[in-house]
Parts: sequence; structure tokens; C-alpha cells
Amino acid sequence: MFSETSSIKPLFYIILINLLGAILISIQYGGINMEAIVLTGGICLVSIISYTIVFFAGLGDPYLFLIISVLGSVGCIMQTRIKPEYGIRQLKWFLLGTACYFVVMLGYRLLSRWLIKLLPLYLGLSLLLFIATQIFGKTSHGAKNWIEIGSLSVQPSEVIRILFVMSLAAIFTAKYPEKLEEKIKVRPQMMRLMAASAITVVSAAFLLLQREWGITLLFFATYFFFLYVYGASRLYLLINGLAAAAVAVVGATKVSHIKVRVDTWLDPFADASGKGYQITQSLFAIGEGGMAGRGIGAGSVYFIPEVHSDFIFSAICEEMGVVGGLAILMLYFVLVYRGFKIALSCTNAYNKAAAFGISFILGLQTFIIIGGVIKLIPLTGITLPFVSYGGSSMLTTFAACGILQAISGMKEELTDEIQ
Amino acid sequence: MGDILSRILTYIFVIIIYLFIYAIIRMIFLDIRAMNRKKSGSLAEAYLKLINLRRDLDFNMDESYELGDDEVIGRGNKCTLRLPDKYLSVRHCRIYKSDGSFFIEDLGSTNGTFLNGDELTDEAVELMDGDKISIGRLNFIFVMPKAEG
Repeated sequence: MFSETSSIKPLFYIILINLLGAILISIQYGGINMEAIVLTGGICLVSIISYTIVFFAGLGDPYLFLIISVLGSVGCIMQTRIKPEYGIRQLKWFLLGTACYFVVMLGYRLLSRWLIKLLPLYLGLSLLLFIATQIFGKTSHGAKNWIEIGSLSVQPSEVIRILFVMSLAAIFTAKYPEKLEEKIKVRPQMMRLMAASAITVVSAAFLLLQREWGITLLFFATYFFFLYVYGASRLYLLINGLAAAAVAVVGATKVSHIKVRVDTWLDPFADASGKGYQITQSLFAIGEGGMAGRGIGAGSVYFIPEVHSDFIFSAICEEMGVVGGLAILMLYFVLVYRGFKIALSCTNAYNKAAAFGISFILGLQTFIIIGGVIKLIPLTGITLPFVSYGGSSMLTTFAACGILQAISGMKEELTDEIQ
Repeated sequence: MGDILSRILTYIFVIIIYLFIYAIIRMIFLDIRAMNRKKSGSLAEAYLKLINLRRDLDFNMDESYELGDDEVIGRGNKCTLRLPDKYLSVRHCRIYKSDGSFFIEDLGSTNGTFLNGDELTDEAVELMDGDKISIGRLNFIFVMPKAEG
């Protein structure tokens, strides 16, 4: 019954991609590589099972998990190519992430009625995580953003970004301000804008203290687009834009960390062996790869610093060429497109806002890091969703997509009732 | 030697990613086309009106589906009218227009096509305004507003 529809085709391609990946890694390490076989086999199995569940249980959008599978496959293959242990650990995160995806999806479906009222919970959790990072945070690469629990390190800002979207969605769609209007005589729209601005300023302050420039940009841009979509006046947008620009200019001239980033962005070759090392190595790698790439396993990706996390896209470009890099970009494009499509076709106001925010964050995060490594914008450390190495990033991105999946699968009538 | 081999395999790798993207975009395109068809123009001569309560179904359905001159109804994506009911066959039944009236025929479906409660056999049957069509778990009323006679 499957074969008559073309829906089996993408799965077939996923298996082929993983098979080729396993062969390529085996060639690289000169012999059959057990890690590669476990890895690619594991991903194929998870993709097939998850897709079958989503498809036959009618859980909504069938494309989301397919696209995630391919991104995850490319990510795991590249990690194994860089270092087999990374690949195996990445596979573990991929499996945990998939579990997280379905748990979050079910949780969201069950709790959808109450999610809009949980604003205090989102804010409280975010604040708790921020404070915990301040107190227990470990500094790595100039940013104080890790908490170590036993042997596990987690990056709380990854969780906060989802809570932030949920809070903004709740602020802009809950009917609470209308009820409050009679008591305190402030226009509901005004109350919403003020609340959104307040949580953004507080979050941004904490993030700046932790020197998380990339995530600060992510939060501000999300907030700004929420303002735009939910009809803030041009004046309010202008004030916010100017305030952000002022902060950015002050930061770029006064704070040495940001100043270095901007200087190396404008002219990385001025100090190619020092401050500009990361970005110049990234550019050399992309240049080496050229149009068609040097072949997976045949490049010299070890010259790129942080190649397994922030600079994974440079490695992809070196070994798979610009054409391969564009393929990855197109995958993100389709993923974000699906996200916006889900947001557009859903009828419940809160779910619409949440789907919009999550899709926006996914797209923007991809832009910030890819833009950074190709020297389109100043480089800031942020992960490439589903491809970069890292547990917290993987799990939270899976959770975010689980929310999208839940929203796409909810029936219209049910979502109407919630309002 | 190894380098050339891995280079060639990488080309194939990238091509497969593009094929995957193409397959996904094609599926999305078919979905959107099916969605637009439901919205565009209300000038169709006849349509199927869903009489199940939509909240009883665990998938999304529209209230009504307009009928063109020749419609193949089923679950597969080669159908001109795709419905997500699991109990439908990939190609379930066909409704077509001939000499100004509509006919329905079963396309060898597993669970059968019922017209006013009677299962259809091999031959096509003419549809009248108000006929009840049951396929899978779905029940429709055939509506032909301008029917004369």
C-alpha cells in the first residue's frame, strides 16, 4: 500500500545517503568502519520508524521529520568523518532527540489547552536558568554559558530560547490584557508591547552578561518580528530598532570582545594567524572546496578550529563543495517553509504564534551561523541546527520541531475550542 | 585512488540530497495543488458534501469537495481527489461525467463503495442529486444543484 504513493521515495533516499556515508567513511579510515555502520544503520532505522509513526498515526506534517533525518544524517556523517567518537555521541543525541521530539509532541497535544496560561511558568523557568548560569556557569571561548552537571554539560540558553518563544506567543495572544483594561485603564496592545519589551530587555541583559552575542541577536530579532507581526505601530518599531542599533554601536566600539568580532569580520587577513585565524581558516576551507568539493574524507578539515560545532558548515563546503553547501541550505529552507506553512494553516492563535516563533528562530539561527562562517555577518558562536555537535542544541531543536509537529497534527475543531 | 573514489561518491551523495529535496518539494506541491483545488471557484456543477461529523474523524477533512469531469478518489497521490482515510484504497472509486450526468464506479477497492447503502458491483451507476455515497469511514451526499428532471 506504501509503494503506490511516492511517499516511500524520500525514505529510500535517506537510506541511500546513509549507505554512501558509511562507504565514504570506510574509505577514509581505510577499511570497514564499525562506527560508521552502527551510525548510519541507526539513523536509517530511526528515520523509518519515526516516519511510519507520523504517517500512519496521522500526526500531522509528514515532511518535518524527513527533512530533520537528512540534516541529522549529514551531521552524523560529518562528525564521524572528523572524529569517530563524535559521530557515535552525535548518534546518541540524535536518538535521544527523537525520543524528545515525540515526548514533546504528545505533551504539547495533551496540554495545548493550558499552554497559553502558563506564562508565569515560562518566565520563572527562564529566570531560574539565567540565574543558575550566572552562578554555576563555566566559561568557554569567552562566553559564560555552560553548566556542568556531573559529566554532562548543558547550555541553558538553548532551552531558554524555546521558553522565550512560548512566552512571547502567550503575551501576544492571551486575552488577559483585555480583562485587565477596566482596572488600570491601559490599552491592551500597549500592555502586550510593554510586557514583551520588558522580558526581552531582561533576557538580553542576562545574555549580554554571559557574553552570548549570537543568542542575544537571536532573541532581539525574534522579539522584533513578533512586534511587526502583531501590529506594533511604526513608531514603536522605530524606537526599538534605534535602541538596538545604539546598543550594537556602543558594543562594537566599547566592548573588546565584540570589537574583535567586527574587526575580524571587516578584515580577517589583518591578523590572519591571530584574531582572524578562525574566520580565515574557514574561508580557506570553503575556497579549497570550490564548486564540487574535495570529497568527504579527502579534505583537510582539521585546519578549521571548532570544526565539529560552529564551523561544521565550512567543513561541509570544503568536502561537498558549494553545491553541497547549497543543498544543506535548501534543506533548511524547506524546513522553515514547512514551519511557516504550519503557522499559516493553524487556526488557534496561540499555536499560530508559537509555530511562527519557532520557525523564525530555526531560520534565523541558521542564517546567523552560516552568515558568520562565510563572512557575510560578524561571526558569533551559535549552533547549526541538527548538524553541529552538541547535546543541548540537538535536544532543544528536536523539542522545538516536536512542537511544530504537534501543532500541525491538531484537528481544527479542537484548536478552535481552546480559544 | 581513494581520493578520486571518495570525490565521485561525494558527488553522488550531493545529487541524492538534491533528489530528496526534489521529492519533498514535489510532495508539498501536490498537497498545495490539492488544497487550492478545494478553494477555487464555486461554479462546479456538482459536489460531495461530507455528512460525518468532522470531530469524529481523526484526520482533517473539508465540508465539501467539488467534482470535475473525471475524478479518481482514493488515498494515493495519483488520485485527483486525495482523502486521508486509512480505510480507503489507494485508488478507491471514480466519479465521472458523461452526457450531462454523473456516474460512479468502484475501482476494485478493498472495503467497497456503497451507494445509498448498496455495495457497487463492477458497472458504473448514475448518480442522482441527494444520493448517499459511503467509502471507508466517510459518508457523502452527492449534490447537483442544477439537476433537471
